[in-house]
Amino acid sequence: MSDWLNLLIRFFDDFLVGAGVTLELTAIGLVMGFLLGLGLALGKVYGNKPLCWFSTAYIELFRGTPLLVQLFLIYYGLPSLGITLSQTLSAYLALGLNSAAYQAEYLRGAILAIGNTQMTAGRAIGLSRWQTILHIILPQALRLAIPSWSNEPILLLKSTAVVFLIAVQDLMAKAKRAATTTYNPIGSYLAVAVVYLVMVFALNALLKWLERKARIPGFEMEGKKGSL
Amino acid sequence: MDIIRFIQYIASGTAYTLGVTFVALPSGLILGLILAIIYVYGGKIAARTLSVYSTIMRGIPPIVLLFILYFIMSGTINLSPFWAGSISLGVISSAYQMEIIRGAILSVSGGQMIAALAIGMSRLQAIRYIVLPQTLRLAIPPWSNEAAIVIKDSSLVYALGVPEILRRAQLISASTQQPFLAYTTAALIYFGLVLFTNTLLRRLENRLRIPANP
Amino acid sequence: MKKVSVALMLMFLVASALVACASPEADSVLDKIQEAGTVVVGTSADYPPYEYVDESGNFAGFDIELMTEIAKRMDVELEWTDMPFDSLIAAVQEGKIDMSISCFNYSEERDEKVDFSDAYYTSEDAFLVAEDFAGTITNAEDVANFKIGVQSGTVQDEWVTTELIDAGLMEESNLSRYERVDQAAMDLQAGRIEVIVADSVPAQALMGQFGGFKIVFEDMLYTGPINIVLPEGDSELQERVNSIIAELQSEGFIDDLAVKYFSD
Repeated sequence: MSDWLNLLIRFFDDFLVGAGVTLELTAIGLVMGFLLGLGLALGKVYGNKPLCWFSTAYIELFRGTPLLVQLFLIYYGLPSLGITLSQTLSAYLALGLNSAAYQAEYLRGAILAIGNTQMTAGRAIGLSRWQTILHIILPQALRLAIPSWSNEPILLLKSTAVVFLIAVQDLMAKAKRAATTTYNPIGSYLAVAVVYLVMVFALNALLKWLERKARIPGFEMEGKKGSL
Repeated sequence: MDIIRFIQYIASGTAYTLGVTFVALPSGLILGLILAIIYVYGGKIAARTLSVYSTIMRGIPPIVLLFILYFIMSGTINLSPFWAGSISLGVISSAYQMEIIRGAILSVSGGQMIAALAIGMSRLQAIRYIVLPQTLRLAIPPWSNEAAIVIKDSSLVYALGVPEILRRAQLISASTQQPFLAYTTAALIYFGLVLFTNTLLRRLENRLRIPANP
Repeated sequence: MKKVSVALMLMFLVASALVACASPEADSVLDKIQEAGTVVVGTSADYPPYEYVDESGNFAGFDIELMTEIAKRMDVELEWTDMPFDSLIAAVQEGKIDMSISCFNYSEERDEKVDFSDAYYTSEDAFLVAEDFAGTITNAEDVANFKIGVQSGTVQDEWVTTELIDAGLMEESNLSRYERVDQAAMDLQAGRIEVIVADSVPAQALMGQFGGFKIVFEDMLYTGPINIVLPEGDSELQERVNSIIAELQSEGFIDDLAVKYFSD
């Protein structure tokens, strides 16, 4: 017990730095994933045939393969095609590309829930297709998507934990470091498990608050509640 | 090394990937099913304990849990990385499967339990013959999602040194210096496995659908 | 939420207390090995020519062949377990494997957790760089000016961490710790790191395997004699292994192996 507390105290600063890296990875992956995911969702719903086909293929491929494989493909595979990205950049890219596929599905669900009548109405009052999407459909769809979308930040936070395998110094890498210096792997991983839990709880509380803030009264979509 | 042997070498890891999945998924299902029944019918204390269990297990990244469970298991019983890794993944998955089955149990209306008790069935009989047959059918779609997640998470045992698809891709990419080809091959095999499982479970879902009970 | 977090903390405290109190079993590992007729040996098969996986997927290398002979002389079957290098010591400590041979150097911190056999070979460290490397390294510490890659948990990792990072000579962000040494080699090839610090014989092997590398520095930093890692406090097993190593040395078996694997 006191061993474990000593370990926690000895590596506390290290764990904090690692947790910072983990949060950074989550934030950047989430934003990248959102922008790309939105494009994919729109492409799949409103795009022409090739665009729709591309979006579908992208979503299926990225959701059908492990993140770890995507990460290795980007980090170790791309240099043989002449594209060498740094460790951090590879991690951002893998997380962003991966998250985009999942976010696209949440957003697509919300866009479909808005229905076609609003598109018809928008066109009838003289807006173009893209104007209707931008000014009428998206403002509603994005708010509607929040309950089901709010799973994604937590899922993404948890999936960042594999990037230590390409030598990124995230929280998990710090745990590994603690495990190899103290030869107490269980204690080290338990310590960072607690740190991860704290981050997940905090993020969950933030998302719940956001969900309440952004709700459109009387206009909810049936969606999964938060993941916790 | 020619391309066929290259691909063969990586593909031979599929046996391990499938092995991990076939241990993790059923053990997670059995554990998840038992826990879900206890959660719903086991009283307040059981429900609260299991809710804490579920929150903890689902709040920690799978790879962190994998390492913790793996080292705990290696400290107590002598298991190979394959078995320790597979069982750990099963335990992790049990928390998610418990939530899936619990949701499905709750969606079968409580009136049916009362009806079953009224015609003289015991609680266990009612669970066994009335609730579960409907529950398990309802659980197939979310469960097939979990199956895909377990297949993908089986790649995490890479970090324990189990020679599954990803580990083999890594070994051969170092010795042939064809990392792009190696990891692309690995990705396609995983994709095939996930696609196959999804199709299979969708068929099962259609076959077992209860007419007029969407 | 608050209740959940408190419950959580309590659970972890209890769990960790349990872990801390668990003590290793007392009976001799040698007896256990002889009873089972099998010795379970851990290695990290990524360190050619000491230990690696050959093209047909079998374990091969200097350590592998040496251990095979030791098991033969102990009159037991040999079962290999391939695991990440940095979990080998913990695995021996926890009795998951009976012993480990993986080009281990002696270090005091390791000696607190496990025992070592007598040395069976002596190694040096080397700095491996790309052929077009333009920097100069005269003293070992000069390597602090470059981006370094090591295998996580090796004595080289320890050397860079304590002698360079903790001493304030370099930033930790300039050190990449890899799970496997061949991953470090791929990154050296891709230009993400400038120097790999590793044992010199495996460094030479990587040079042959990847091409386009050269060694710019060779010396003993933390390395030196290499030993087999044994469970703590099991003198019977230690004596048995030591006597076999002594036999193999006097018969010239180890010298022959060194010629077979290290001579080029």
